Amino acid sequence: MSHWIIAPVVLPALMAALMVIALRRNLFLQRVASVASILALNAIAIALFWSATTHGPEAYFLGNWPAPFGIILVLDRLSALMVLLLTTLALPVLLYAAGSGWDAKGAHFHPLLQFLLMGIAGAFLTGDAFNLFVFFEVLLIASYGLMIHGGGRDRTRAGIQYIAFNLVGSSLFLIALATVYSVTGTLNMADLAQKLPLLPQGDTALIRTAAILLILVFAIKGALVPLQFWLPGTYANAPGAIAAMFAVMTKVGAYATIRFGTLIFPTTLPATGTMIADLILPAALITLIVGAIGILGATTLPRLVAFAAIASMGTAFTAIAGFTPQSTSAALYYILHSTLATAALFLIADLVTRRRTDASLTAQPPIAGSGLIAALFMAGAVAIAGMPPLSGFIGKLLILQATRDQAPLIWTTILMASFLMILGLARAGSVLFWKSHATAGTPAPHPTEPLAIAATCALLAALAALTVFAGPVTHWLDATAAGLYDPAPYIASTQLYEDR
Amino acid sequence: MELLVAAAVGLMTAVGIYLVLRQRTFPVILGLTFLSYAVNIFIFAAGRLAVNMPPIIKDGASYTDPLPQALVLTAIVISFGMTAVIVIMSLGAYLEAGNDKVDETAP
Amino acid sequence: MSLALIVALPFVGALLPGLMIRFGRNASALAAGSVTALALLALLFHAPAVLRGEVVQTRVDWVPTLGLNASFFLDGLGLLFAGLILGMGLLIILYARFYLSKADPMGQFYTYLLLFQGAMVGIVMSDNILLLLIFWELTSLSSFLLIGYWKHLPEGRQGARMALAVTGGGGLAMIAGMLILGQIAGSYDLTVILENKALIQSSNLYLPALILILLGAFTKSAQFPFHFWLPHAMAAPTPVSAYLHSATMVKAGLFLLARLWPVLAGTPEWFWIVATTGLVTMVMAAKIALFKDDLKALLAYSTVSHLGLITMLLGFGTKAAATVAVFHIINHATFKAALFMVAGIVDHAAHTRDLKRLGGLRTLMPVTFTIALLAALSMAGIPPLNGFLSKELMLEEAAQTVWLTPWAMGLMATLGALISVAYSLRFLAHGFLGPVRDDYPSRPHDPGFGLWAAPALLAILVVVIGLVPMLCAVWLVDAAASAVTGQAVSAEIGHWHGLGASALWMSLAAIGGGLALLGIHPRLMAMWNAAPRPDAKRIFDGIIEPLATSARALTEALHNGSLTRAIAIATLTIVAAGVWAFAGGAHLPGTRALLPVHVVPVFAWAVLTVATVATALLHRDRIVALILTGVVGLVIAIAFAYFSAPDLALTQITVEVVTILLMLLALNFLPKTTPVESTTPRRLRDAAIAGIAGTGIGALVYQLMTREPAFEPISVFHLAQSKPGAGGTNAVNTIIVDFRGYDTYGEIIVLGIAALVIFALSEALLKSPTVAARLRAIGPGTNDAGDRHPMMLAIGTRVLLPMVMMAGVYIYLRGHNLPGGGFVAGLVFAIAYLIQYIASGYVWSDRRQRYDHHVLIGWGVLIASLSGAGAWVMGLPFLTSGYGYVTLWPLETFELATAAIFDLGVFLCVLGAVLLSLASLSRMAQRGGERANPTAYDIDPHKEAR
Repeated sequence: MSHWIIAPVVLPALMAALMVIALRRNLFLQRVASVASILALNAIAIALFWSATTHGPEAYFLGNWPAPFGIILVLDRLSALMVLLLTTLALPVLLYAAGSGWDAKGAHFHPLLQFLLMGIAGAFLTGDAFNLFVFFEVLLIASYGLMIHGGGRDRTRAGIQYIAFNLVGSSLFLIALATVYSVTGTLNMADLAQKLPLLPQGDTALIRTAAILLILVFAIKGALVPLQFWLPGTYANAPGAIAAMFAVMTKVGAYATIRFGTLIFPTTLPATGTMIADLILPAALITLIVGAIGILGATTLPRLVAFAAIASMGTAFTAIAGFTPQSTSAALYYILHSTLATAALFLIADLVTRRRTDASLTAQPPIAGSGLIAALFMAGAVAIAGMPPLSGFIGKLLILQATRDQAPLIWTTILMASFLMILGLARAGSVLFWKSHATAGTPAPHPTEPLAIAATCALLAALAALTVFAGPVTHWLDATAAGLYDPAPYIASTQLYEDR
Repeated sequence: MELLVAAAVGLMTAVGIYLVLRQRTFPVILGLTFLSYAVNIFIFAAGRLAVNMPPIIKDGASYTDPLPQALVLTAIVISFGMTAVIVIMSLGAYLEAGNDKVDETAP
Repeated sequence: MSLALIVALPFVGALLPGLMIRFGRNASALAAGSVTALALLALLFHAPAVLRGEVVQTRVDWVPTLGLNASFFLDGLGLLFAGLILGMGLLIILYARFYLSKADPMGQFYTYLLLFQGAMVGIVMSDNILLLLIFWELTSLSSFLLIGYWKHLPEGRQGARMALAVTGGGGLAMIAGMLILGQIAGSYDLTVILENKALIQSSNLYLPALILILLGAFTKSAQFPFHFWLPHAMAAPTPVSAYLHSATMVKAGLFLLARLWPVLAGTPEWFWIVATTGLVTMVMAAKIALFKDDLKALLAYSTVSHLGLITMLLGFGTKAAATVAVFHIINHATFKAALFMVAGIVDHAAHTRDLKRLGGLRTLMPVTFTIALLAALSMAGIPPLNGFLSKELMLEEAAQTVWLTPWAMGLMATLGALISVAYSLRFLAHGFLGPVRDDYPSRPHDPGFGLWAAPALLAILVVVIGLVPMLCAVWLVDAAASAVTGQAVSAEIGHWHGLGASALWMSLAAIGGGLALLGIHPRLMAMWNAAPRPDAKRIFDGIIEPLATSARALTEALHNGSLTRAIAIATLTIVAAGVWAFAGGAHLPGTRALLPVHVVPVFAWAVLTVATVATALLHRDRIVALILTGVVGLVIAIAFAYFSAPDLALTQITVEVVTILLMLLALNFLPKTTPVESTTPRRLRDAAIAGIAGTGIGALVYQLMTREPAFEPISVFHLAQSKPGAGGTNAVNTIIVDFRGYDTYGEIIVLGIAALVIFALSEALLKSPTVAARLRAIGPGTNDAGDRHPMMLAIGTRVLLPMVMMAGVYIYLRGHNLPGGGFVAGLVFAIAYLIQYIASGYVWSDRRQRYDHHVLIGWGVLIASLSGAGAWVMGLPFLTSGYGYVTLWPLETFELATAAIFDLGVFLCVLGAVLLSLASLSRMAQRGGERANPTAYDIDPHKEAR
């Protein structure tokens, strides 16, 4: 049994504790520790990724208790992929935060970031439904702290809204889990997958209710309409670097939906059938439209990116709702793409906003380093709008192909949304970077922040890599998706317990 | 008995939601507290009610389901942490803005 | 060199000009030029094989699962277009070098130009329609940059956005079309698709695919009704116009029509849609061109008109017509590019492009005039120039095509030709002929060689092709036309087809009529100006602007930052979805025996109900509401105790105390009452929503309580293993610290984070000046009671402190076997401190805290983590408690420790969290101006002062 599976959870916790005890007053050392920790996490993530690819699913029996009685972590291709995505995103974000000085704007940035990573990694790795709740809370409370990092009137109020809304979500989560346990007597995900098919007829109504409530919890995280209202205010008011990190938090909702929708409530389960898909698909399409309209109608750059995030979740959930290996594979590729693209765009928005007097999408004198930042914005916009040559286009094609059965509805929505996005992004770019040249005034001086710029470029480079290596990536994802629809190995791995 | 408990849960949920729908932070926080009361009892009751069967291992005793109790403990602690944060945050918002409205006045 | 490299070259080379610009404009232009030249050479290297009729192919797998492959092929059509693109590109680079002013960033220009060029070459060489789509959209993007090159010009910005919207939008439609096409053919490889004419045309998806693909082609080639973007793209620098609108961008649409001609053409749908669109576009655009005074606008509309002509020819669906189309593509590229460059030269020289302000340039700019003369006459279709040849053939094809009636097509074609004669001659007459004026904005003169070299070369081509087509053009036409039609073509291009040829008379009519039209032009112009007509730009803006404004309005209305509304919607959604899901499944009510109802519990229940309702009613008085909340919490604790959950009771009560106290302390700073804000209807609405939610949850929990679990709960194992396995008699505690210790681990992390967040937040607050001001305004805690810190209370708490702490230690130690444990113990300790704060004030108590609570939290997390990781030493999983198994005696003591150590971590975390929060509050109090009391208890200093 490989103890490395728990490392993505324990390592950040230890680092955070260390920072709090010893490095509280030394930002430089905190940065060093933070970078070291995330580099180590990347290495671990790669190792786990490799192990999951070569050895298949592996369970880690916490407290050395057999499943389903104790809590287990399960490392499979999907969880390994998500952890790798997380650590890949974390490094540039951290470098940006250091390079732009965001982490100096308040206390405890680095410990909170470590705890956030811990929470997200824990959520990806756990094989226990209630433990998923616990780690949702860990990542949420860390995100509360990071979201209001640096304080300020609007940010704090947005923070309250964010917390309040998510506390309602957490209550819902607990109610759903209690229902699941009350009906089935278990909380272990693999155990649920085995027991639900044997559920008495008279319990189906209750288990359906529990399933839908769970999916709604994930929909809140994934900002599906009509549960998306918390996102624009939160992301637009969060510090740029943090907003970029949040790009992966919406994906936690997507991940959980895929996991529960394939392992526990597959469409082959008589009790639930296609219920989840029936709920998600319309919501996802509306989400996509709402996001696209938001991009066209946004008043500030950060809000524009926030709506881009919403639109990307709409697209991802459209693919997820297909619940076929092909559509899930497409969804996963799109999730990889949109996480990095959204994050990059948030960083770019932050680069722009901090060089201007305000974030509004109005013409102002050209900003310092306008040319380079304009180029970055163009790249980010191309990526998020799903235009070639970046990975967004491939992701879009994959999703269109996977959904050809419902082409008239889904294709029209996706393509119309892309059109609105192109309009909105072109307008924004033209106002921000072109019209500025027709606006009187000289750019206010601003440090070049090479590290911040480099971090942003790194994310865009990752997108380029995702495009160039789309072949092997999609190949790997196809196998992963196929595995999700044949959960036998996953379930078997949770039973390989031998007492010591 | 079960009916009374269910009624209590429903009532506390309702009051919780009602208070959360107010426009000032303090009632919202109270509302969230009530929601967590309701949820805690929900989890607890989902493990069925029992009198005089504490899950303390004794010979020949019968026990109520201990797991929901453990879950409720976790839930209580977590909601305690959350409440503490939102209390201080509402305090901060009030001190920053001069009022304790929850809704943004102008987007 | 591999075809892929030819395509890649411009993209890679695009970096060069940007870098070379630091070595001067010549270096930059040279870099761009040599990249293009290299690509062109590589292309010509393949030419012989292609002209022999072979097809050059390279294939690189890219995304096999998607069917997207980086495969290229080069046949006659590809060769023709690639040649045009690269050759014309070379001339444009030369021209632009001398056209752009010093102020213009030339490096950028050439970078954009090469990107665009690469995308175009990609389109014409792709052997995979998905790959083609990629390059297709890339041309939209790069042309966006080129058209908007002059950032400061609003026309440039709007023109660029319009072009992107129209061509990019068309591209989106084409994505769908291509996907359908590929799915019909079973492959996205062009070479495969081109084999499957029958399959495709028989499919019932043929029409949707056709329409979607044509949308892409027509928008790119500015066919009616999408023609309007092209003239506005004229805001770009002239070299760009010359490039995009003669040989490349707009020809991409034609290329696609020609490329897919073998599989899409030949059906009635194709004929009617394509031929008609082309015809309408040709005539309509020609008419508009006739009335444009701006040289570039005139040329723009003439371009649209000629594109229409070519589209129409492809629409005919006959081999002969397709051949003519190919031939005219070549001719149009030559004379139109030349004319655009001339327009640019005139603009440079005279500082105007307005025909009304020009004229008489013939003597002032003889060289330019010569070029303009040849090119314009060719555009007019005057023999023996190349334009004449293709127009003659076009008229012949039109005359033989039946459209509505046998003669309609011929008539319309002649009309188009007639008008194009008129505007071509007008270009010359009003621009160059006539008397020399003395009111040019600037005195015109011929430019340097650099500027007129390129158009001159094109003019020579116009003449040469015109004179000896069979020698220098027909081989290319044949190769390309064979590729288009898929059949061997050997075209016969001549000047004289005998008196019998209807084309002859049509041409004569066109030329004569054109001259006449030019004669009466002033009067027509007057009528034109008088007549109202739709302005495409205003219509476009009339669509886009409202779209944007309504999008803004909708977004602002939807996301207005109202939490209450968001939660209301969420609540209703959740209940609705829950009910929907429940209704979809079978449900049997539970059969579990209900508990009897006793008096005392009912009384407690009544208290809880009353307190709960009262809270809702009296919530505006915050102190009262808080106390009522506390009452509810206590009743819940009692309920837990009653229902055999002593641990919960204990925890609930301690948490309750701490929470309420925290909120009381916070309330010190907050308003004590909530103002009446919501209207009665709103309150009723909220009550209704709340009622619905409450009913739902209540019903759900009742269903759960009254039934047995479907399977044996996992807790049976926990009860069985609690003593032998986890070594504790308190099953709840063994679950918390052992069976599900990992949950607890996460839970204390949450507490630790909470404390850090609170600390960070108060730090930020204390930094903010506005906050400081408000705190001072609020001032120290108000003193409703006589003393702020009553002596009795202070002394009492002082005595209490050690006792409570003792209790804490006891609770901690017994935890594993009886209700209690680290968490409760931590809270009890915290309470011991809390009451000190209440008794003697924040500051007095804070002064007596000699350590930083961060350390507590940090160590708490550290200890918990390490105690969990300790198991690794023995190769056991994280959080394996020492009781996991019984082995050697020496290990026993060590094993005993682990669970307790973990619980110690819990204890420290809880204590640290509460104390750190308190400390944060007290720091605010200090900022608020509370004085440190000299003693633990005092008489109110304010009173003393009096």
